[in-house]
Amino acid sequence: MSLLDISMYKDDPGFDVSELMEKPYDPEFADKNYNPDKPMENRITDIGPPHYAQFFPEVIKKNYGEWKSHEFIQPGVIKYTSESGDVCYVVRCGLPRILTTNLMREICDIADKYSGGIARWTTRNNVEFHVTDEGTLRELIDFLKNFKHPGGSYKLPIGGTGACISNIVHTQGWIHCHTPATDASGLVKSTADEIFEYFGSHKLPAKLRISMACCLNMCGAVHCSDIAMLGVHRKPPFVEDERIGKVCEIPLVVAACPLGAIKPATVEINGQKYKTVRMNWDRCMFCGNCYTMCQAVPLADAEGDGVAILVGGKISNRITTPKFSKLIVPYIPNEPPRWPSVTKVVKRIVEAYAKDAHKYERLGDWAARIGWERFYEKCDIPFSEKSIDDYRLAYDTYHTTTQFKWSTHTDNL
Amino acid sequence: MAVDKEELKKKILEYATKKAKFKSKMYIKDLYKADPNAKPREVKNAANELVKENKLEYFSSGSTTMYGVPGFGNPEQE
Amino acid sequence: MADLKKHDTPMVDELKKGPWSSFADDLQTRGDSGSQACLDLLGQLELSYKDKETHWKHGGIVGVFGYGGGVIGRYSDQPDKFPAIAAFHTLRINQPASKFYSTKFLRKLCDMWDHRGSGVFNFHGSTGDTVMIGTTTEQLEPIFFDLTHQFDMDLGGSGSNLRTPSCCIGRARCEFSCLDTQAICYDLTMTYQDELHRPAFPYKYKFKISGCPNDCVAAIARSCCAIIGTWRDEIRIDQKAVQAYVNGELKPNAGAFSDRDWGPFDIQKEVIDLCPSKCMYWDGKELKIDNRECTRCMHCINVMPEALRPGLDVGATILSGAKAPILEGAQMSTLIIPFMRMEYPYDEIKELTDLIWDWWMEEGRNRERLGELIQRKGLPTYLRIIKRKPIPQMVKEPRSNPYVFWKEEEVPGGWTRSLEEFRKKHLA
Repeated sequence: MSLLDISMYKDDPGFDVSELMEKPYDPEFADKNYNPDKPMENRITDIGPPHYAQFFPEVIKKNYGEWKSHEFIQPGVIKYTSESGDVCYVVRCGLPRILTTNLMREICDIADKYSGGIARWTTRNNVEFHVTDEGTLRELIDFLKNFKHPGGSYKLPIGGTGACISNIVHTQGWIHCHTPATDASGLVKSTADEIFEYFGSHKLPAKLRISMACCLNMCGAVHCSDIAMLGVHRKPPFVEDERIGKVCEIPLVVAACPLGAIKPATVEINGQKYKTVRMNWDRCMFCGNCYTMCQAVPLADAEGDGVAILVGGKISNRITTPKFSKLIVPYIPNEPPRWPSVTKVVKRIVEAYAKDAHKYERLGDWAARIGWERFYEKCDIPFSEKSIDDYRLAYDTYHTTTQFKWSTHTDNL
Repeated sequence: MAVDKEELKKKILEYATKKAKFKSKMYIKDLYKADPNAKPREVKNAANELVKENKLEYFSSGSTTMYGVPGFGNPEQE
Repeated sequence: MADLKKHDTPMVDELKKGPWSSFADDLQTRGDSGSQACLDLLGQLELSYKDKETHWKHGGIVGVFGYGGGVIGRYSDQPDKFPAIAAFHTLRINQPASKFYSTKFLRKLCDMWDHRGSGVFNFHGSTGDTVMIGTTTEQLEPIFFDLTHQFDMDLGGSGSNLRTPSCCIGRARCEFSCLDTQAICYDLTMTYQDELHRPAFPYKYKFKISGCPNDCVAAIARSCCAIIGTWRDEIRIDQKAVQAYVNGELKPNAGAFSDRDWGPFDIQKEVIDLCPSKCMYWDGKELKIDNRECTRCMHCINVMPEALRPGLDVGATILSGAKAPILEGAQMSTLIIPFMRMEYPYDEIKELTDLIWDWWMEEGRNRERLGELIQRKGLPTYLRIIKRKPIPQMVKEPRSNPYVFWKEEEVPGGWTRSLEEFRKKHLA
């Protein structure tokens, strides 16, 4: 018996949008009915999202809360069995997070043909199709295997389940963001190509999550990922003295710096006085927070910007507690369009982990078990002073024991 | 001891207009100063009503949102 | 369509190669079929690949009337070269909980977005919103009008607002879920519509809801209020199914390791020995669990889902204050309430939220996240604010420094005393 009880929400505006969806989009509706001089006229606000349950496939409505077990019958395909005996197959497909109405309409065509007119997205930007019989399932899988872009890439590669590298979550990068230190879509596409065999297979010791954020703001929180690629700046901001007073509030810029490196100042240029700021460059940690608050202190720079690699974070509470990712490689230059140096390091870490870790062991747990000195050795990554914390709470990361391992780092002492 | 909303709105508007001459963008926290007796939530509700009445406006950078008075602020800010 | 202007994009074209689904090919196809915006977007990306710097300007101030969030402004800094994306704003739309959509809905959304915007989406933004990338300032009000009238959709959060709550798949499909994650997510979203659309706080505030400690929506790492399902009673055991795993009739971890030969399943090595609290025993016939010692890490259940299931006395563990590094460094959420029942109308979590918000709105500095405020004021202060008793579950270990901030009322006789009396006993 389904545990789906939604009766208390039946008076909400978005509870049942089916009637609205029967009507085609009216491109002239807003032009006719919206009056810019009276914005409150006919205005609807605070209605919230459409109610989720109306988009559930029938099998999910019927078996809500009654699922008994699941099985990955092949990479990317999950079979769910209900207490009622009902079965639901889910085909999970990778997809770039950025997509156009073209590909979206094609996804709709597939969903209409195979999965009852419903598609679902996962937290990691995969799209899923639900089917209830094995015949349709096989047809769908066969179709997707040949569903390609003109350039030859799979439009919807199947995978993202079990001991795999699922879709790389990421931010906007150069395609749509004003603060990035690197691109997101291009770097992610390049990395996903490089580790593609691990997306559609179950051959890793445990799941491995790669995330990408194009600046320290981390609007895609990457700080707890097995492998994180992070855009970093390395040059302090310019200060546009003649512009900053006009476009920014000086006190806000000063307050934006977490290290107090920005002070208000007045300068004279061609006999005219300008209110501006001065920065103590020695204190700058290149976080970009000042630029977030004020467009007259830009810090993007082709030579300065690049990518840092962090590893060993996790979210799940499984076996060990959640962990932060640790900075392993402080900087790799931006090499569009393919970022070969970044993808090489990522692949090397993945392969060292795949070869050496125990079953069920996440990357960070593996590194902790073998010791970080051994991690650097096995991944063939040079250890840098930049990996030693000197920010807040740094002391917590220092080694205060005589227990360590001999490694290449000590062999020539 | 809830404060009278219309009274509070008047105070906020006066305060913001006075401030706007020096500082065109204000945090909600700045507006608390308009009436030290009002609770943060009351100030927020009153300020948001003023926006609906076109007497205050929002400035949102995407990460933070601030308040301003229509007519003040810099033309260069898009 | 005849007027489409294509740019020369040799570097971006490189990204059409390789097996992973190519965003460049998708944008190109859409561009070739009549969207100058997609072609200009590729052109500007090519320029960024050449310059190794972004060509997007600071957002500026855009929005829809009466809302302080949901729209993020964006302008090209090369508008003459790429006029179709000169203004290219983002709209965040509140997604349906756990992200199921009907194709009727999606197709209609495509029709609207092709008409009023670039035809480019993010499915989804990091927080969970349905994101539409690329429109002009003039289109914002008509889009909002269309969304609310023709879709029953509303904007999501941005700025110093409540951000759009999000949740995992929950009971819709997952047998592990201890919570009605969609219902909680939806209910909180509807309850706090004002906070979601209008600025209320020193900075952003996030709710995320995961059905079990596997935490598929990463609540513990990125939400101010993480609501994570758990149980208080015993793990349900089907001993026959345990035997079936031991005998190799069932695949461990539901087949998650199927492409590599890890040898025959060894329950001792793979389950019992990996249990973090060592609360499980296997005598060759029967699996025993000392549930009082269990920390509900989910490992044994993940490995043998047919045999083990979470208990039936379910609720949520509540954790507070996670955030990404800007500014004080990254923080994970801190456990504040080990168990809270989560039943409609969810009064308890709402009462807690009121206490938290009142304090943070009063004490929080501008752009200070809740987690940073807790850090600055200390967990004991926070516990007093939210009216919870301190318990050992809230710390990894007791403090190792002795610098206790005793309060005067905690010490017999208070702090005011007579120096005269003191000196009568002790010569100076």
